[in-house]
Amino acid sequence: MNMLEIRNLHARVEGKDILKGIDLTIRAGEVHAIMGPNGSGKSTLSNVLAGREDYEITEGRVTFEGKDLLALPPETRACEGVFLSFQYPVEIPGVSNMVFLKAAINARRKHQGLPEIEAVDFLAWVKDRVKKMHMDIKVLQRGVNEGFSGGEKKRNEILQMLLLEPRLMILDETDSGLDIDALKIVAEGINTMRSPERATLLVTHYQRLLDYVKPDFVHVLAGGRIVKSGGPELAQELEARGYGWLDAA
Amino acid sequence: MSLRHYTDAFQQLAVQLPSEERTAREASLQRFTQAGFPTRKLEDWRYTDLSALTDQSYALPSPATPDLSHLHLEAATAQIFVNGGDGAFTDTGREGGAVVALNAAFARNGLDLDIGPGQSLAQPLHVLTWTGHRTSAMTHLRHRIRLGANARATVIFHHAGEGAYLTTQVTDIDLGPGAQLTLYRVQDESAGSTHLAQSDVRLARDSVLDAISIDLGDGLARHDLNVHLDAPGAQAGLYGLYAPSGRAHVDNHTRIHHRAPHCGSREFFRGVVAGSARAVFNGKVVVHEQAVKTDSETRVANLLLSKTAEVYAKPELEIYNDDVKCAHGATFGQIDEDAVYYLRARGLEADVARALLTQAFAQQVIDRITHAPLRALVTRRFLERLPQGAMLETLL
Ligand SMILES: Nc1ncnc2c1ncn2[C@@H]1O[C@H](COP(=O)(O)OP(=O)(O)OP(=O)(O)O)[C@@H](O)[C@H]1O
Ligand SMILES: [Mg+2]
Repeated sequence: MNMLEIRNLHARVEGKDILKGIDLTIRAGEVHAIMGPNGSGKSTLSNVLAGREDYEITEGRVTFEGKDLLALPPETRACEGVFLSFQYPVEIPGVSNMVFLKAAINARRKHQGLPEIEAVDFLAWVKDRVKKMHMDIKVLQRGVNEGFSGGEKKRNEILQMLLLEPRLMILDETDSGLDIDALKIVAEGINTMRSPERATLLVTHYQRLLDYVKPDFVHVLAGGRIVKSGGPELAQELEARGYGWLDAA
Repeated sequence: MSLRHYTDAFQQLAVQLPSEERTAREASLQRFTQAGFPTRKLEDWRYTDLSALTDQSYALPSPATPDLSHLHLEAATAQIFVNGGDGAFTDTGREGGAVVALNAAFARNGLDLDIGPGQSLAQPLHVLTWTGHRTSAMTHLRHRIRLGANARATVIFHHAGEGAYLTTQVTDIDLGPGAQLTLYRVQDESAGSTHLAQSDVRLARDSVLDAISIDLGDGLARHDLNVHLDAPGAQAGLYGLYAPSGRAHVDNHTRIHHRAPHCGSREFFRGVVAGSARAVFNGKVVVHEQAVKTDSETRVANLLLSKTAEVYAKPELEIYNDDVKCAHGATFGQIDEDAVYYLRARGLEADVARALLTQAFAQQVIDRITHAPLRALVTRRFLERLPQGAMLETLL
């Protein structure tokens, strides 16, 4: 079954057209990688899917598990199982990670008609995942991303993903700014979540992450359109040749 | 200008007073009627308009026995003044401007706390003033706190009420050498209220004042807090959260006078201004010539929650010697919409996200409250006024 269907999607911000007709279908169980030059619209696409309201959708539609995704506010999309790992996670001083994670988990449970999670269960569950991400348990008391290094922020995104167990994972350059060990940990986190019921959209500039998280499809986004799609070998070709040759094609 | 209703009310009061006290209070009343309520032409009253009070008719208060159990505070000794209480009418002193003069003419004794040298108060005092009438009335209270050398105390002033009324509260505080006072003030007056307060604190050598002021009321409130660092080593920390919403108006004026060497003052206020509310903060630090090695810092930060909310916040410094370390700053901002989006992208409703961010901003001041039941009460009252705020209570 098609989990995500993007048809002729056009989006604009501040009077500027950024997405100019995106078509993409993702089925449950698949991993799609999106590569492309800076400013080509990868984060715009990710944010349009997550529900950021700064963008004006001028044409096209998106269905997620049969529902009109664009009609839903971001929080409903999240509760329905869409997760965006931010390219630039936001720092929220004064809101502890613990409070934040609990609020996020309970929001999702409420949406599913479940009671709030028991405090002990929550703690055990969070501790287990924190360990999986090789993070210090003390980060739970700190403000969300407050004073985190770039790599720590990315790890924190994956921690949230492990806790929220989404069905569609959109990872916007989660590999950028990670050291070699952190990249492995993040890749492991992503792979833990891979399942026949889940799908992944990986935005990346580097082949390296794709060595750990094998994609089924690779797409090139340039100038607001998907200009080429292929298998994992396309990523290797891009790594070797850059994007220039695509213009000619 | 007509202050007729105030002079009429005074005539009713005067017959109950001993003649000596009556004469003294007549002089206060006269000072008040000559000056009149401060107008916006005065620099210190530029943003707070009391002109509507001039023709208002406020009756003398009558006794009442309201149920105040919802205002009860654990781990504190309560002293409750309903409708001005039934304290004596003793000498109220003569210093101060028109509001103090009005208070001096009418006030009953409120808190009168005297802690001897080396003594400390076993439990915080919860001084609850509550005003409520079928017709609008006015209450005036005079409070005194004296701590002897090395004495310690925690006092919680808590002002609440119902309906329309005017209340003035004048507080005189003297801290002996090495004394330590933690002074909380929770202003939670009703929408129809006008609350005018002045507190004067004099600090002797090495004494310490921690004053935490929380304005949650829905009416018009003004507090003048004057701190006098009169002897070496005295330290004052002034913290405040003002959170007016609806049509509320809150004005905090602080004056810290450094008159001796080696004193320190920290001032840290935060404002959360919603609806069509208006907030005023003016924090002035005066470093007098002899006050060398003064260490002073004033910071005020404001969060505006609506387009119609207004805030006038100004820290001021007046320095008359070179050997000092002084800093001040004011900031104004809105909720970080990137943070709202981030929280929504994790499933939090927009209102919950905004409430969480607002609460985090205010928490910096609320966390200064070390008395846990009071902290809980303030947190609850603060959250109640935010859309979806009540939802956060279970979370925090
Ligand atoms: N809020 C905004 N206001 C104005 N322009 C914007 C806004 N958001 C994105 N853009 C513009 O849209 C274009 C696409 O940006 P986007 O962030 O989607 O690129 P990207 O492919 O993710 O790039 P990178 O690889 O650098 O992350 C850029 O030219 C960018 O400047
Ligand atoms: Mg990007």
